[in-house]
Formats: sequence, C-alpha cells, structure tokens
Amino acid sequence: MKFVAVIRQVPDGESRLKIQGNRVDLSGATLILDQMDEYAVEETLRLKEKHGGEAIVVGFGPERTEEAIRTALAMGADRGIHVVYEGFADPVAVAEALAGVIQEEAPTLVVTGGQQADWDSQALGAALAEALGVPVVSWTTALELEGETAKAKHDLDEGAEWVRVRLPAVFTTQQGLNEPRYPTLPGIMKAKKKEVKKVAFQGAPKVEILEETIQEKTRLQKILDGKDPVAAAEELVRLLHEEAKVL
Amino acid sequence: MPVDFSLTEEQKQLQALARRFAKEVILPVAAEYDEKEEVPWPVIERLHEVGLLNAIIPEAYGGMGLKMLDEVIVGEELAYACMGIYTIPMASDLGITPVLLAGTEEQKRRFLTPLTQKPALAAFALSEPGNGSDAAALRTRAVRQGDHYVLNGTKMWISNGGEAEWVVVFATVNPELRHKGVVALVVEKGTPGFQAVKIHGKMGQRASGTYELIFEDVKVPVENRLGEEGEGFKIAMNTLNKTRIPVAAGSVGVARRALDEAKKYAKEREAFGQPIANFQAIQFKLADMMIGIETARMYTYYAAWLADQGLPHAHASAIAKAYASEIAFEAANQAIQIHGGYGYVREFPVEKLLRDVKLNQIYEGTNEIQRLIIARHVLAE
Repeated sequence: MKFVAVIRQVPDGESRLKIQGNRVDLSGATLILDQMDEYAVEETLRLKEKHGGEAIVVGFGPERTEEAIRTALAMGADRGIHVVYEGFADPVAVAEALAGVIQEEAPTLVVTGGQQADWDSQALGAALAEALGVPVVSWTTALELEGETAKAKHDLDEGAEWVRVRLPAVFTTQQGLNEPRYPTLPGIMKAKKKEVKKVAFQGAPKVEILEETIQEKTRLQKILDGKDPVAAAEELVRLLHEEAKVL
Repeated sequence: MPVDFSLTEEQKQLQALARRFAKEVILPVAAEYDEKEEVPWPVIERLHEVGLLNAIIPEAYGGMGLKMLDEVIVGEELAYACMGIYTIPMASDLGITPVLLAGTEEQKRRFLTPLTQKPALAAFALSEPGNGSDAAALRTRAVRQGDHYVLNGTKMWISNGGEAEWVVVFATVNPELRHKGVVALVVEKGTPGFQAVKIHGKMGQRASGTYELIFEDVKVPVENRLGEEGEGFKIAMNTLNKTRIPVAAGSVGVARRALDEAKKYAKEREAFGQPIANFQAIQFKLADMMIGIETARMYTYYAAWLADQGLPHAHASAIAKAYASEIAFEAANQAIQIHGGYGYVREFPVEKLLRDVKLNQIYEGTNEIQRLIIARHVLAE
C-alpha cells in the first residue's frame, strides 16, 4: 500500500509579513511545513504503521520547499517528490501538476491539508480529487481503511458525519485528525539519506496575481463601563458569543 | 571560502526541532517546576523520545554523535524556555564527556550505551564543600585495595547527582600530590555507602536537581577508573574546557528570551501617552541586549567550531562562557528594569531569567577562574 501526503511550505503564523512592490515579501519570514499538511503527513505515517507499505510525501513549491519535505521525511516518511516552481500557482494548476506525479505512484489514498495557510485556499484537496478523477472527503477528523473502501468522519458546520468512499480517494485534514509527532533527531539524521525526486512544473498558472495587500485589523474599542455589574457581565457574554464567537 | 556562517540543512532542522520542543514542552511548565523546585521527569522523558538527551554519545554506542556546534544550537533553544531545565541535559553531557575523553572502548560501551536506551542521566562531581575554584585541593580520598578503590569524602553542588545512573567522581590517592594525585572514578547509582542529598532553597535553576554526595567506604572497582591514577585532574580540566561552551549557549538563549520579553512589554506598556518603546532610554537597553546576544552567539559558535576541529579551545571556551553569562545577566537585569514593578514579580517571566542565569556566572568554573584561564593564555604568548 502507498499513502501519499501532499504538502506545501508556508510562512509561520507568527511571522511578520511585508509588502514589497505590491507583493508579499517572505524574505524575513520563518517558513514551515503547513500545519494542516502536518496532519496529512502524520495520518499517512499512522496508516503505514498499521497496514504496512510506504508513506510518500509530495511537495509543491519553490526550491526551499525541500526543507518542508525534509521535515516530513524526518517525521518518518519514506521518500519525497518535489514538483519545483518558483512563482505563485493557483490550486487548480497545482492540482493538475501533481495529479500526473501522483498517478504514477498509484497510491491507496492521498491526504492533504484542509486549508492552505498562505493563500487561505481550501481548494487544493478538491481540485486534486477532480484532477485524479477520484472522490474527496473534506475536513476529515477520523480515517479507517476497510479493504477497497475507507470510512471517514468529516466535520460539518454544526456537526459531523461518517462516510464511506471507494479508494483511491483524497482526504483533506481537519484539526483533531491526529496529534502530529515531532521530527526526532534520529529522524533528522536518517532523512539526510532519503530520496527526494525533483520534477519540473509542467503547467502554467491559471490565475495571475496583480497586487497583494495586508489586511489592517482595527480594534472595535468597545468598553463596558461596568456600572451595573450584572448587565455588564451579560453584555460581555453576549459579545464573546455573538461577535468574538469564542464562547 | 574560508569563513562560512551558514548552518547545514540538518542543523536548521535540529534548531527547528529544539525550538519547537522548547516552546511546546518546556515553556508551559517552566514556572511550575521553578516554583516546586522539582526535576521535570516528563520533560526528560520527552527529550529522550525526540533524541535530544545525551545526544553527544557517538553512534557507535547508540547515540547521535552530536558535535559541539550542534549542541550549542540546541542549547540556546532549550535555555530560551528554561535555563534550569536545560541544565539537566547539559550536566548529563558534563558527566558523559570525561568518559568520551578518557574511557576505554569497554567503558564507553558499559557506561554510555545504557544512557541512550532510556531516559537516564549522568553527572560530574568535582567541587567539594571546602573547595571549588582550587580544584586540585580536593579531599575526597580514594584508597586502592586490590581490585577496587575505597572512596571516602563529600562532593558539593552536583547537578543531577541524585538522578544520575552514574557519577564521575574526582578523588585523590594522596592530597600532598595535589593535581598529580587525582583519579577519576565512575560510581554507579546504588553502590553501597554512596548517598545523594538534595540541596534545597536555590535562588534559580530550581528545576535542576543539585546534590551533596556523600561517600562512606564506597567500593569502586578498578575497571571503573577513567585513565590512569594521576590523570584525573587533566581529564576534569579537558572536560570543562569543552562543556563551558554549552553554558555559553544557554546564556545566549536566556539573553534572547530577555530581549523578546522586554521588546514585547516595551511595545505594549504606555507612559506619557505612548508606548515606552518609543523612548530612547528603552531603545538603548534593547540595542545593548542585541549587541550582547549577537556577539556572544558568534563567539560561542567560534569556540564550538574550534572544539569540533580538534583545535586548542581552552581560552575560547573561557571567553565564551564568561562573556555570554555576563551579557545574559545584564540582559535579564535590564529586562526587569524595563518591566519596572512588573519585572519584580513572578507573574512575569523576567525575574526568573535573572535568578536562573546568575548561576551561569558561577558553575563550571566561576567567571573569575575563566579570566585566569584567559590571562594565562595571554601571558603565555
């Protein structure tokens, strides 16, 4: 069995981004394996450990993406394939480029991040399934193999459902799917010797970026005076529930 | 290209691992173990799991064979989250180093391999209640009787002393011989007559266990002796010449934390209608911290590089240790000053930085001893 994790390298959520000439400048940013993709790598490792076979990591992006692929290899993936492209490519173009590489591997299933942290797109998994002509299960929180099919739990807006799909299929991750392991020091040392095959991007982006800006978040500056503590507490709970949506 | 400051791909991954470990595993529990004055075994277990514990043990004995530069990269990251917790693996490396330097193949297999198979620590015992800087004046006696030594005496300030699987104990076969009478003996945990008493009430680094070790007619087999009789002092000094470099790295980590905390606070705290970071009085402090961090890190890397190249490094490790621990103490001090009253209470993390890093100016040779080493190097030229 072959389990493929599709990954990308993105700026760390805590990185400060700058705009340079209408473009996001990543030169000062710490770049990491997308955390949603980390769940994908972990899931393929667990499937491999349970059912045997091979865990393959497929990365798309500029040359530096190899760092993220090496992280996945240090976590325990067996080998990597890197589709190299230095510019921006939209998810549909990426999916079409990756489909060929993935088809050659004829995997049991493919897992990728539910959302790509850099462009906030949720399209890659679905576009990949489309390009491969296989089913997709999005926002997966549990995944079990059952011979030719897989049973998966996926999040809905206000709940969840269990589904069964024919394999191969694409699964996109959701928080809670698993707890990704650390790339250990022995893993880092072993990863040095693992193969990363380089493949040139054979397509063209379908979407062109004209200008990028950074969202300016302004505070609401809402202050509850608290003269009536009961009313203030009720209003605070209402705001936390309805506006901040944290309760 | 004679000078190259770049890290290898593996070193970057190692740094990322250590940084993540520090943030996710050490940082959340640092204040708790400081308060409880307790060794955080769950953290030690996790360090073992990810391969960062005792990682300087060569691959031939089951370790990862980390070089000094690798160790320094890891040390800065772990100490950023808690210098006291970092002292635990650091002091274990201090115990391992004399075995690496002077142990036979058989001794290395016997003592080092078990430390790679489970979460376990080593320790190094040189100081005594009555002597620290004058290490050759030690009074712990080792008397040879047939195929073993009988050990009597007391060791003081021994990090990991009560947790360690074994301790390298420096003793004398004849005090009149001074350093020429020193012997290095590996004493295993549980040896009859060997007792470890935890020292309570430390100012800082309270997560690391510090012990008084008492030896009463402890029988140590001759095959546990590292090197020859009389070589113990040289083994101890060569060990410290290496292990002071990670002390410097830990200091850099503390200084970096002090700067990060001070920067965060200075941007949030307002006075006279604006964030205090706008004031030059604050900016100069932040700039001075940065000067210290950058220069101390570079010099620490240099000392580590010398050690990895097998070049003389006694003076460099002394410079790195003294300098880094001093800029770190000053960074912690200024971080408190920037926090004002908030810096003086435990609710904020900066007072702990100062309490912790004070020890870096004392252990593994006081900074005064470092200056002696440096001065000897200057005068010998």
